Order: sequence, then structure tokens, then C-alpha cells
Amino acid sequence: MLEFFVQFLSNPAFILGIVALIGLIALRKSASEIFVGTLKTVFGFLILQAGTGVIVNALTPFSTMFTQAFHLTGIVAEDNSLVAAVQTFLGYETAFILVFSFIINVILARITKYKYIFLTGHMMFSFAGTMAIVLDQMGINGWKAILIGSIVQGISMVLFPAISQASVRIVTGSDNVAFGFWGSSWISLCGWIGGKLGDKTKSTEEINVSKNFGFLKDMSVLMGIVMLAVYLITAFFVNPKDMVKITGGQNTYLFAIIQALTFVAGILVLLQGVRMFLGEIIPAFKGISEKIVPGAKPALDVPIFYPYAPTGVTIGFIATLIGSLIVTFLSKWLPVAVLPSVIGLFFMGGAVGVFGNARGGRRGAILGGLIFGITWTLLIAFSYPLIDVSKYRITGLWFASPDAIIVAVLMRLVGKVFGL
Amino acid sequence: MKVVTVCGMGMGTSLMMLMEIQDIAKKHGYKIEGEAVDLSSAKGKKCDFFVASEEIAAQLKHENALVVSIKNLIDKDEIERKVIPVIESLK
Repeated sequence: MLEFFVQFLSNPAFILGIVALIGLIALRKSASEIFVGTLKTVFGFLILQAGTGVIVNALTPFSTMFTQAFHLTGIVAEDNSLVAAVQTFLGYETAFILVFSFIINVILARITKYKYIFLTGHMMFSFAGTMAIVLDQMGINGWKAILIGSIVQGISMVLFPAISQASVRIVTGSDNVAFGFWGSSWISLCGWIGGKLGDKTKSTEEINVSKNFGFLKDMSVLMGIVMLAVYLITAFFVNPKDMVKITGGQNTYLFAIIQALTFVAGILVLLQGVRMFLGEIIPAFKGISEKIVPGAKPALDVPIFYPYAPTGVTIGFIATLIGSLIVTFLSKWLPVAVLPSVIGLFFMGGAVGVFGNARGGRRGAILGGLIFGITWTLLIAFSYPLIDVSKYRITGLWFASPDAIIVAVLMRLVGKVFGL
Repeated sequence: MKVVTVCGMGMGTSLMMLMEIQDIAKKHGYKIEGEAVDLSSAKGKKCDFFVASEEIAAQLKHENALVVSIKNLIDKDEIERKVIPVIESLK
């Protein structure tokens, strides 16, 4: 019986279910809402794990293809998929870091003058997983990992919004909300550089962009197009004899198309899972923080900035994509080949377009985006050797969020000083 | 009455909009059910009305329910001004 409870409480799906249960009770929801919400949280987490299986299965043959075609290791940078994929190893640590880091965030917002409450749930989840992974690599697990990870994450949840608030004020013209996204510092920095190089009076919003590009707002479509290109180009360069071993006799290009679309389908399943468990937990977090921290400033997800320069979003995304591709083509001289990672490129590139435009007009958006694409991809490539995810049986995936990578790398370097 | 809020990923901005709308509705004495989704999942969803940013709303115009388009996602007054009349008309 004891064994049942111990295993029950170390399963991340149930930990998050209990968190949702407590949150829903605290929000004084009805009994049926509490029951449904708790169950949906557990479903969400199980769906997330199912999506992970699909992604890993589609990436494993791709990694083999990429290595045989180019004699390089290729990775897609996507935090949520990576963190979801390690849940069988580090789920317990991840779930508790997610919860306790939020409590530390609320305490810091209550007692210091930095009133930021970080409310971007999928970012909290991916950062918690990043902490669990980095600490595991340093030989730290269990409650120690939860303690250190929660403190580092809790501080980061206040620190990073504070760093980018000056830029947020320039973009939004107000001080009511903050930037809760693990790319905020890098986006603000590239926007600032764009401002130094650009001309604020020539806004991106004076440019007319064709309405035909509207479909690019649909992430699944955009990701599908890019992944088809990546898989098909790779397949083209694999020796046909080697390819037969990978495809098991299926037509090379049909195989590439199916695997590319399966990869995207896996991401969609995974995100549906994330959506389900966040939909129950985040309202509870928001409700609790509003009661404890008067004058709290919510740190929110990146799309809240897009309406300030919708054309800037498109321009920033394209500039970032070009910058990132330049680095991808130079992969031969880098520790790893970073493949076009659509989610990061789109959401962060779009924001750089807005931030660059606010400070330096269209030239600021374009140059900020280019610099972001280049430096972000280089950051991933050079940090890659410091954190080895192959021990969790993952190939072809790595971290994406620059702020989280900076924190992870710093922790790893501090650890090395202490011999960890 | 059910609202579906929509954004690119269906978990950050849309969830914030949903919580905002539910708070505002409660203030006016209405109880609104809701769901936050991404653009792909929004298509074909059954609800009384959608709420999304202007960019996303433009992609939803073929849907069977009313689409409320929000210009400034952090402007609570704009959300209130646009959503409350819709709720009252659907009541």
C-alpha cells in the first residue's frame, strides 16, 4: 500500500493533478469543476507523453539520415518536446520545480519591489525540465535538485522580466504588463542593437505585406512546410543503399514526407497535452498570486507584443530565419548542426521584429532579426556540448530558449568549478 | 454560453484572454464557459463566439460563430467594450 502511494506521488501526471486539485479548491470551484479539472490535468500530461513518443520515433530515423548525408549531428531546438521526452527520467523533479518555483516567484514579488508574476505556463514547464536536466548532468537529483532548481527558476521568473521591462515600456508605452518568455533578454538586446543601427521614423507598418501570407499565422502549416523541406533535402543527400536500411524498402521520398509530417503531428499532440494541463493550473496560479501580491505585474507570453507591429512580426521572422539559416549552412565548423526550428524562429523572430521596429524602424527590425537569428543559433551550437541529452535516449532534439540556455550554461560552468 | 479564445499556440495569450473575459463577465453577472485553443484546433469548434487578436481573427472569418477581434491584447477596457455587448446580445 505504501509502495502505491510513493509511486503515485512520484508520477508527474499525478503531482500536477494534485496541484490542480489544490488550486481549484482554493479558487472555490464547484465539486464537478474540481473533479473535471483535476482529471483533465492528468489527461493533459498523459497526452503530452504520448506526443513525445511520436516525435522521438519520427526523429530517430531522421537523425540517422542526417548523419549519413552530411556527417554531422543535426538537432531541432524545441524545449517543450525535449523536456516532455525526459519526463520518464526526470518527471518527479520537473513537476515539483514547476510548482515550487512559482511559490518562490510569488514570495519575491511580495517582498521586493519587482512585482512580476510569471504566467507563461509552457515556459515554466520547459524551464523546470531544463533545471532538472542540468542538475541531473551535474549528479544532483531528488529533493536537492528540486530545491536548487526551484530557487534558480523562481529568481529567473522575476529577474528576466525585470531585465526586459525597459524595452517593454518602449514597445507598449505602458508599464502594466511584463515579458514572461525565456527569450526576453535576447529579444530586448537584439531590438536595442536594431535601434542603434536603424531609424525609428521609418516604421515597418508603412510597408504593405500581401494578405496571401496569412496562412503563415498557422503554426502547424508553417512547421509542416519547413519540416518537409528539411526531411526531403536530407533524404536527397543520403546514399540510396543506406537509405534502404532506414526506410525498410519504402520509397525514400514518401518515407521522408511521412516522417516529416509525423514529426509535426507529434508536436501538435504534445502541445494539446500541454494546453490541457496548463488550462487548469495557470488560472489557479493567477488567482493565488493576485490575492498575495497587490499590484502584481503579470509577465505574459510573447504574442501580446505582436499587435504593436504586425508587419514587423513577419519581417522579423523572415530576417531571423535568414540569420539562422546562415549559421546552419556553416555547421561544418560548429559542434552541431542547428536545423530550422520553426517555433522558436517564428515566436522570437516575430518579437524581435516588433522590438527592433519600436527602437529602430524597419532597418531596426531587419538587422535586429538577422543578428538574433545568427547569435541565437550560435548560442545553441556552442552550448550543445555542455548538456548531453543522449543518456535519456533522445536524438535530434535540444534546448531552444536563449535565457534558459544562458542560465543552464552558467550553472554548468559554476558546477565545473566545484568539480560537478 | 461558451467562448473560444484563439492564439498561435493556444496556451499563452489565449488562456490569458479567456481568464480576462471570464473575470469581466463575472463582474457583469454572467458565467461564461470557455476554452483556449490554437488556430488549427479553433477551426470547426462549437461555441457561441470566438475572441482573438486581429491577425488571428482574420483567419477565422469562415467559422460559424461570431468572431470578436481584439487590437490591443493587454487593454482590459477594449476587451470589456467589445465582449460585453456580444454576451448581452447572445443571452
